[in-house]
Amino acid sequence: MSKVFVKVMLFATLMKKYKTEELIVECDGTLKGLIKNVAKILGEEFFNDIYDKGYDNIRKDIIFLINGRSIKDLKEEVKLKDNDVISIFPPLAGG
Amino acid sequence: MMGGYMGKILRVDLTTGTLKVEPILEEIAKKYLGGKGYAVYMLYHYLKEYESKGISPAEINPLGPENVLIFATGPGTGIVGFPSSGRYHVMALRSPLTGSIGSANSGGEWGAFLKFSGFDAVVIEGKSEDPVYLAIINGEAELRNASDLWGKNVFDTCRILTKKIGGKNTSVACIGPAGENLVHMACIVNDEHRGAGRTGLGAVMGSKKLKAIVVSGEQKVPVADPEKFSKVSKRCLDVMRKNAVTGEGLPTYGTSILINVINAVGGLPYKNWQTGVNPHAKEISGETLAEKYLINRRACWGCTIGCGRVTSVKSGPFQILYTEGPEYESIWALGSSTGVRDLDAIVKANHYCDEFGLDPISMGSTIAAAMELNEKGYIPKDDLQGLDLRFGNATALVEAVWRTAYKAGFGKYLALGSKKLCGIYGHPELSMSVKGLEMPAYDPRAIKGIGLNYATANRGGCHVTGYTVSPEVLGIPEKIDPLTPKGKALWTKTFQDFTCVVNSTVNCLFVTFALGVKDYAELLSAVTGWKLTENDILKIGERIYNLERVILNKYGFDGKDDTLPKRLLEEPMPEGPAKGHVVELKEMIEEYYKLRGWINGVPTAEKLKELEIEL
Repeated sequence: MSKVFVKVMLFATLMKKYKTEELIVECDGTLKGLIKNVAKILGEEFFNDIYDKGYDNIRKDIIFLINGRSIKDLKEEVKLKDNDVISIFPPLAGG
Repeated sequence: MMGGYMGKILRVDLTTGTLKVEPILEEIAKKYLGGKGYAVYMLYHYLKEYESKGISPAEINPLGPENVLIFATGPGTGIVGFPSSGRYHVMALRSPLTGSIGSANSGGEWGAFLKFSGFDAVVIEGKSEDPVYLAIINGEAELRNASDLWGKNVFDTCRILTKKIGGKNTSVACIGPAGENLVHMACIVNDEHRGAGRTGLGAVMGSKKLKAIVVSGEQKVPVADPEKFSKVSKRCLDVMRKNAVTGEGLPTYGTSILINVINAVGGLPYKNWQTGVNPHAKEISGETLAEKYLINRRACWGCTIGCGRVTSVKSGPFQILYTEGPEYESIWALGSSTGVRDLDAIVKANHYCDEFGLDPISMGSTIAAAMELNEKGYIPKDDLQGLDLRFGNATALVEAVWRTAYKAGFGKYLALGSKKLCGIYGHPELSMSVKGLEMPAYDPRAIKGIGLNYATANRGGCHVTGYTVSPEVLGIPEKIDPLTPKGKALWTKTFQDFTCVVNSTVNCLFVTFALGVKDYAELLSAVTGWKLTENDILKIGERIYNLERVILNKYGFDGKDDTLPKRLLEEPMPEGPAKGHVVELKEMIEEYYKLRGWINGVPTAEKLKELEIEL
């Protein structure tokens, strides 16, 4: 798999927890590859913020966007490209 | 007494100065619950009565004595353990802003304390010659002279009356200068910073020369089955505490946390909805608000969520030592829609809205419309009288709010709301409103379902009527694709019906991020002693929605008004994740009318019969 560089942005309590707003991360273009590399920078705990137990499925309650589109609405398997923007929000709401 | 009800409605005739106490009728309460539902029922009967006297709905002047204002609570309000039940609902027979039914909802403490003062609802008819306020203290009610309060801002009015009345559980709902001056976007504010914001109910109150309603008391709300209620309540509150949104997200950040996520999906309207992507969203985000302005959280009566923000602007031209908010909608309307990036100024403008009693959504959106009109050269310089209305001008933003409250200079045009304002300057298409009510903070080109809701919400361009943003963006209760129009009709109808129940219970809509129809059925059954199923709950909601729609139809609103501004139907989103999209309203509305049993926005006779609505 080719290497790609993507921007990962964290918001709200995630930003607060990791004291990080954005990171440029290198990965193999897969979702798991990306999260693995982010966890190398931010810590293993990051897996639990993104994945359900067992690390197979992205948590239902977070908002995970790739270029503004939710991963839950994308029909194809995720293939990240250079300069993609990944925005991750913890569970939140408002009105 | 019925469980959940104090059993009494206070009817006030301001023209004659007489007060009457009437009973809550159980057969009406079983069909319409309370709060919004009971108020809609009462308002429909006022229309019928006027018609029988030869006064057609079209002849009802929203700022005339024939308008009626109703403040209502429901069977859940003011019961310890009923989730987030400090709220109340206000309705007017006619809104000065829209010409249709007026409706708004507020938190704080006033709703609960109205129950403790001994009443479920207050109905205000007629008009007083001189300014008065209504005092409801432990079961006794009286109109008192308010000449020395007239002209005072909301904060002073609340504080003076709270001190004057004294006692336990005392709360003030009042108008500020905007309501007194009959500004069409004026609102009613209680507990200094909580607003029954939309549709100009503050102007209705002002037209009646009613400055405030103070409630105070120590009466207890009866519960039919206290043991069962205790069990259900414990379970529900536990669910809410453990829920990531009601237990952590909302308490930590309040509603302003939505700025970045709605912008990220390309749906944060910027510069009067010219696009849905705001390049400066971060500067006005909830994260920035928390970092630089937040001093505390605040909860309404009986609420375990506590999403209220207490903030301050530490220094500079917009310094404020203490204020509450701004909420997501306020930041969007006063900030993103106007292109203003200065959060100090936005907090100040929002503070002015509380101080003078103005709806920040309509206020901000009207200023934004004026900015676009002005930048395009449609407003003569003389009309502006020095108000430099250009997108991003923070000083002009704050000045515009003040001028609107006092109808000073260009403020007298802003005071009419964006629809009339844009009409005056020959460009009605620049008012981003539906049925005259300015739309809130979600661009439906990026979030299609909320577009259907804006078009069909009974009070006009409103998001909370059927908040499909929840499944479309937040993924609650499940995730649906915001960029498709498919399937949105059922979600919209269901949310609209359920929200009617919430507004008739009356408790906080945010509870529904964690609890559902089944929980409401159990809670309300335990409180009232009635055996309510999930189907019963949704049928009550549907009934209320349809009767409210019948009132709309009487004012001449129908399918032609269930629409969206041209910009959203014909101008493709220029950028962002929703680039190229418009709102496919026609296909969504066809499906929606089918589900509703309406033809061209009018409920059929069969539907009304099914819902046991007697006209």
